[in-house]
Amino acid sequence: MKRAIHTAAVVFLSLVVLCALFAPAVAPHSYDRQFRESPNAASSREFPMGTDDLGRDRLSRLVYATRVSILLAPAAALVSVLVALVMCALSGARSPVADAAIGGFTTLSLSLPWIFLFIILRALLPLNTRPGTSILLTFGLMGIAGWAWPARIFRATIRQMLESGWLLAARASGIPPARILLVHVWPHLRDIAIAQFRVLIPTYILSEASLGLLGLGVAEPLPSWGNLLTELQHPGRVQENPWLLAPLVLLMLVMIALETLQPVREVAS
Amino acid sequence: MRRLGQSGTRLLSSLIPLALIVLAGGFLAAALVRYSPGFDSIPEDLDPNISPATLRALHEKHNRENSLPRFYAHYLGRAAHGDLGISENLKTPVSELLRERAPVTAKLIAMGTAGGWILGGLLAWMAVWTRRTAIEAAAFSITGLLLAIPPAVLALAFFFYEAPLSFALSLALAPRVFGTMRAILGECYHSPALLAARSRGLPPASLAATYILRSAAPQLTALMGMTLVIAFGSAIPIETLCDVHGFGSLVMQAALARDMPLLCGMTLVITLFITLVHTAGDLAQR
Amino acid sequence: MFGADAPRELRFCLGGDPKTFDSLHVSDQNSEVIRYLTGGVLVRVDRAKDQPRPELAESWKIADGGRTITFHLRAGLQFSDGTPLTAADVARTFNTALDPKESSPAGDAFRSTGKVDVTVVSPRDLTIRYAEPKPDIDRLFDQLSIAPPKPGKLPASAGPFFVVEYKPGEFVRLARNPHYWKRDSAGKQLPYLDSIRIQVQPNRDIELTRFLRGETHLILARMNPENFDRAAKEKPAAARNLGASLDSEFLWFNQAPSATVPEWKRKWFTSAAFRHAISASIQRDDLVRIVFRGHAHPGIGPYSPSNRFWFNASLKPLPFDPKGALASLAKEGFALRDGVLRDRDGHAVEFSIVTNSGNRAREAMAAVIQDDLRKIGVRVNIATVDFPALIERLNKTFDYEACLLGLVNVDADPMEQMNLWLSSGDQHSWWPRQKTPATPWEARIDQLELQQASEPSRALRKKAVDEVQRIAAEEEPILYLVNPDYLAAISPAVRGVEPVTAPPQILWNVEWLRLE
Repeated sequence: MKRAIHTAAVVFLSLVVLCALFAPAVAPHSYDRQFRESPNAASSREFPMGTDDLGRDRLSRLVYATRVSILLAPAAALVSVLVALVMCALSGARSPVADAAIGGFTTLSLSLPWIFLFIILRALLPLNTRPGTSILLTFGLMGIAGWAWPARIFRATIRQMLESGWLLAARASGIPPARILLVHVWPHLRDIAIAQFRVLIPTYILSEASLGLLGLGVAEPLPSWGNLLTELQHPGRVQENPWLLAPLVLLMLVMIALETLQPVREVAS
Repeated sequence: MRRLGQSGTRLLSSLIPLALIVLAGGFLAAALVRYSPGFDSIPEDLDPNISPATLRALHEKHNRENSLPRFYAHYLGRAAHGDLGISENLKTPVSELLRERAPVTAKLIAMGTAGGWILGGLLAWMAVWTRRTAIEAAAFSITGLLLAIPPAVLALAFFFYEAPLSFALSLALAPRVFGTMRAILGECYHSPALLAARSRGLPPASLAATYILRSAAPQLTALMGMTLVIAFGSAIPIETLCDVHGFGSLVMQAALARDMPLLCGMTLVITLFITLVHTAGDLAQR
Repeated sequence: MFGADAPRELRFCLGGDPKTFDSLHVSDQNSEVIRYLTGGVLVRVDRAKDQPRPELAESWKIADGGRTITFHLRAGLQFSDGTPLTAADVARTFNTALDPKESSPAGDAFRSTGKVDVTVVSPRDLTIRYAEPKPDIDRLFDQLSIAPPKPGKLPASAGPFFVVEYKPGEFVRLARNPHYWKRDSAGKQLPYLDSIRIQVQPNRDIELTRFLRGETHLILARMNPENFDRAAKEKPAAARNLGASLDSEFLWFNQAPSATVPEWKRKWFTSAAFRHAISASIQRDDLVRIVFRGHAHPGIGPYSPSNRFWFNASLKPLPFDPKGALASLAKEGFALRDGVLRDRDGHAVEFSIVTNSGNRAREAMAAVIQDDLRKIGVRVNIATVDFPALIERLNKTFDYEACLLGLVNVDADPMEQMNLWLSSGDQHSWWPRQKTPATPWEARIDQLELQQASEPSRALRKKAVDEVQRIAAEEEPILYLVNPDYLAAISPAVRGVEPVTAPPQILWNVEWLRLE
């Protein structure tokens, strides 16, 4: 039973990723093409999910939105994990002072109003920045801003390892810190890093959705799950056109599939 | 006695970095505002009704301390006496605003976190203790579903259907609690001590108090810290979108208005809160 | 959240906190609403008839070719705290408004290059004398609320209401002025309402939800079309389309020489033919139909057609003609090749349109314009930034290429837009603060604006303003896109409402409003 669910999740995610990668081939129309004679159209053969208020095909926009969110969230997660690893590597094997400094920096990073940074990023971008570049930078900033959570976990793990007998023996025998990190610490840290990477993907998908709801996400006309979800702010609209829930349903299915793929141990960490 | 002395030393050695982190947080927030685009702008700049002379005068009135270190030094000097400045946007003392808004957010977070723990803990208990695949699968599905919905969307739905927003926060936090609790309960369930206690016929409540909560206290403390911080982070979009007059909506207002005293004051408070939570978690784990 | 229901408490929302309760220093819309509801003025312009009528002043006389105005106040006037209101208070308020040290926005309309004399003749009479004629001088006093002698955090007022409670970020509560002078025909003291509770609510969707739930009685600020349609569906009796508002949405190109725009791009923007071509390629009817759901009218010029007196009725909307646009661009050396429009030097025509984030209508308009211009080979990038950052780009750094914005007109009078049309004006959008007019047509507009500002005859002012509109249509430094309709929601429980398009649309006769 568990294996069947696992397989179904893998197949589903693969389909989603393929659709995202080949969005121009999968989507019936371009995401920004306006069918001005059919704004807010109901579901039909031509527009299976109807159109939005500018007459753009919702299905096409959903396919392209998936591409934005599903491809960039892992990239942002990778950035976070890499930054966290680098920060911890700088401190972990050295001195308690360096470790405390990184700890403080981590806490500081969690306390700052990152929402404001996203506001500033939007304001600073050159006005002719392509929407794709803009979204890349937004996810990049998310990745950089999100290094603190995995860093806390890596730090705790490294601290435990530093107190272990085998690492003490390695240090006592004069092995250089860089070699200790790469050869002895990294194999233990690798599984946790992969686990954090997997945990952060859905987190960033949701974060982009929340930014979209606050008007700080992807700029028009490029769609993302975030800016498609802003339509849910009107419950009346949802009753008139239930297809508005499609991005939320897809997001939920992707998240459930990702959760299904995570081992229990990783979820606990 | 020696233990008390050691604890006291540990506490003191945590307070100094705590203070430094809080001060650094406030300074960075001030820097973000000071160097953000639009810092010197006022909405009247675009109003054709206002004469050039009046506009110049409005700018002079609006003129803020341009030197960041000087501003922050003065700010800290006043903050030491409890004066966190006056909000430029709301024309009200920042300390007054924080005093009014903090209980609103605190209530939302407290109730949301409590609900999240109860729901997450219950689902985790069901998943581990009943040893039924169907129940475990159901628990996983519920938490998976809840994890997939952005907290802000949940909150909006609750807002429009006039349900308590703290419950939306509980539903958002429950899956995060579930994962860790399930792992903790799973480990404890298989421990020899617990097996022996169960074979002696101890009731579940005693088992929970004696064998689970006690042994997992450090992890639970760390988890509590984590959920509090996540709850606080979720409060910003929830309060902004659902018209709650708490800390979260104030942060957004301050950011959009480039309100330096307000954002500075709030960051000092938020940094203090998060630092205390993390420090408590770290001390518990040691 | 609104507390226990008072039997005659009107409730509505404002989009933000009022910045001040000091009527002489009001510069934002939210404070202006409070000022209108609380301020006692000498003259009130009847928004329905567009005629000045006596208020605190029982009568007035304009003499000396519009240079002198003499007011005779009503007897027994008092502020809400019982302090008597006399001609001395009017003089004090007027002088404070004109005092350069005060920098009062309320004084801007009254300022003059020459000397201004204020004489208190008696406790009920005063005379104000200008060196130059002041057009429509009596109407100006609709904007000047008489200030109490003792300023305070919640100052007293001479209007129908006064501020009793303010919680920043939450609400303002006004109570009826027990010393208000006005009575109805039966001798009952006005206002009919006991109090007004104004909630601070920046979120328009939540504002609508509260209205539909019956928590508020009206939606004052112009509703967005989608919310209006929703209100019309759920409460048809409440939704009211008052017709084209005085407001406009428009687009302009950055022509400032200090702009961070390449010179070859600036050449496009400074060419009237280029601007006309872009304008002719935008389907205004689609903007009206799709973005505003039919609740708007195509823009023609600086004044909305609903501004019946000042609008130049001889002007017609620019027809949608992309073919004609391409033909006229071809004469300027532009050529469409492989779907890309290029100038004579081979540069692909591409520019960015910046607008403020969080305004769905503007973002949608930008998307429609982007799509329209793509059809003539022009590539448009849309950038949304938050308001303070946008103001900095428009006013300080000039780091933008084209901007899509709107103007909310609080007054129909052309004086309100003077700083926009004067080439030396700070708000001369496309090229502010010119030392000398950059073009002959801007020099001509300067002449006309200064002429109408000092012309006592309304007919002659109208002639000058008509010519300004004609030049604006010829040169199109600003591409007027739409005049949105004023969409409001008024609960049937509110009686006595006579909604108009002039601000404050629904509340202009607040002292006469009643609740069922």
